[in-house]
Amino acid sequence: MTRPPPRVAFVSPRFADGPTVGGAETLLRRLAERTARAGSQVDFLTTCATNHFTWANELPAGERKVGDLTVRYFPVDDRRDVQTFHQIQNRISQFANVTKEDELLWHRHNVNSSALYEFLRTEGHRYDRIVMGPYLFGLIYFAAQIHPDRTVLLPCLHDECFAYLKTIRELFLGVSGWIFNAEPERDLAARLYGIDTTRAHIVGMGLDTFPTDPAGFRQRHKLEDTPFLIYSGRREPMKGTPLLLDYLDVFRQRTARPVSLVLTGTGPFDPPSSLAPHIRDLGFVDESEKHSAMAAATAFCHPSVNESLSIVILESWLAGTPVLVHAGGNVMPDHCRRSNGGLWFRNYPEFEEALMLLLTQPDLRTRLAQNGRQYVLDRYGWDQVDERLFAALA
Amino acid sequence: MNTDPFQIGAEGVDAERLVAEIRETVATKMQAGAYAGAQLARAERFNLVNLKKDENFFDFYMESLREAVAIDINDFEIHERRRGLAPLLVFFKQSVWKLLKFYTYRLWSQQNQVNGLLLSASEEIDRKYRDKLKALEDRIAALESRSRPTP
Repeated sequence: MTRPPPRVAFVSPRFADGPTVGGAETLLRRLAERTARAGSQVDFLTTCATNHFTWANELPAGERKVGDLTVRYFPVDDRRDVQTFHQIQNRISQFANVTKEDELLWHRHNVNSSALYEFLRTEGHRYDRIVMGPYLFGLIYFAAQIHPDRTVLLPCLHDECFAYLKTIRELFLGVSGWIFNAEPERDLAARLYGIDTTRAHIVGMGLDTFPTDPAGFRQRHKLEDTPFLIYSGRREPMKGTPLLLDYLDVFRQRTARPVSLVLTGTGPFDPPSSLAPHIRDLGFVDESEKHSAMAAATAFCHPSVNESLSIVILESWLAGTPVLVHAGGNVMPDHCRRSNGGLWFRNYPEFEEALMLLLTQPDLRTRLAQNGRQYVLDRYGWDQVDERLFAALA
Repeated sequence: MNTDPFQIGAEGVDAERLVAEIRETVATKMQAGAYAGAQLARAERFNLVNLKKDENFFDFYMESLREAVAIDINDFEIHERRRGLAPLLVFFKQSVWKLLKFYTYRLWSQQNQVNGLLLSASEEIDRKYRDKLKALEDRIAALESRSRPTP
């Protein structure tokens, strides 16, 4: 097996430690841990923030040991002009013509840490590789310019308005290599920026198999006889949660099928009143409960079009449950095509047909789930991921 | 309303083929008018991102809007979830509803007018841009055929 280089830094605006941190941060932490476990000295450079809305410095600055990692926390700059940031971001979101100066202003009023930049300037040369991501934070934009020759970008790129900025193009073209989560993400970067794909690596995140207790879950939550869909993760418009709530509400009314919805994760949501009694909002639950919930579900439904890997659908397959995903994103339908482990929909009618299939044909559901599980075992076991990761860092 | 699931036609699981079969079924049912109405227009409000990628979706959405645009103010049932006093509370709500008709009907009628005007405007914009695109495509085709070298 390829060995990772002796000293590696990972950079991310937040360090995944607790319920509020998202998939990209979790991915960076896991890859950092695998690199450390393989014998490298790994530093994780991050900010003292935990909340990605306020970016308040909630953790003390300084160096702490977390498992095999040395985590260095740096304070977020307090010079942010949130109003300017939102004004420019609104224009970007509408695909309005934004000048490069405005883009730079947007990065400057995004999350930044002068202390982290200073550390990279003075100490960065000691690292053989500096892996950083996700792409749309000011912190990553500026940090990537300090040692571009040893920086590898792990962008978690989506086909969204921010990906079309001139400065983001410069960010991609300025670094020495890229780690993508899946082929469609790499293809998107090639299409948008014309990157040299020989320097691009598809890595993803490894998953370990886990035990589940679907019967226990159904009993605990009084769902013995009720089929249900599950969604795990942040509940917000960017993740498509309102779409799922509306679709399931209409589905129940049109088909009279008593399908419930189990939600795990954080964030507020506002369901239609007729659906509300049929939602079990479990909030943040431990991994074991989440996996049991997945195993007990008819299907995992992911309505987002902004995923670059989607760890939760891989987990769902490992739990033995097929998936139903939005066709609008490239990555999740690609997983489903490659694995034959799930179905995808573009609009409500296709959602209705696909869900009816999953509800009425248990044999199909089982075969989809088996295919999905095999796909994860073949492609996202840690051994395979380590091999791809260390090749990317070499 | 036909919501019967279709049956899988072949052995084995091929997700791509299954999705293709789902789409064929949806197209057939759509032509038969199985998917229309205010419910669906509402459900698709968060799916408008698809408009930029899927031309058929826009047609489907406009069709749903046409079905939804004229609201029937009497097309809902007055009910009460709290048991016990439910009949009394329903009677009370129905009485209030009747008393306020002179006011709500006026708002409802105005809202229907606005809905109709907005739909007409959207249809007109759609027609205008379709015509414009068609003209541009024809022009490009003409220019391409003119610049193609003769054999």
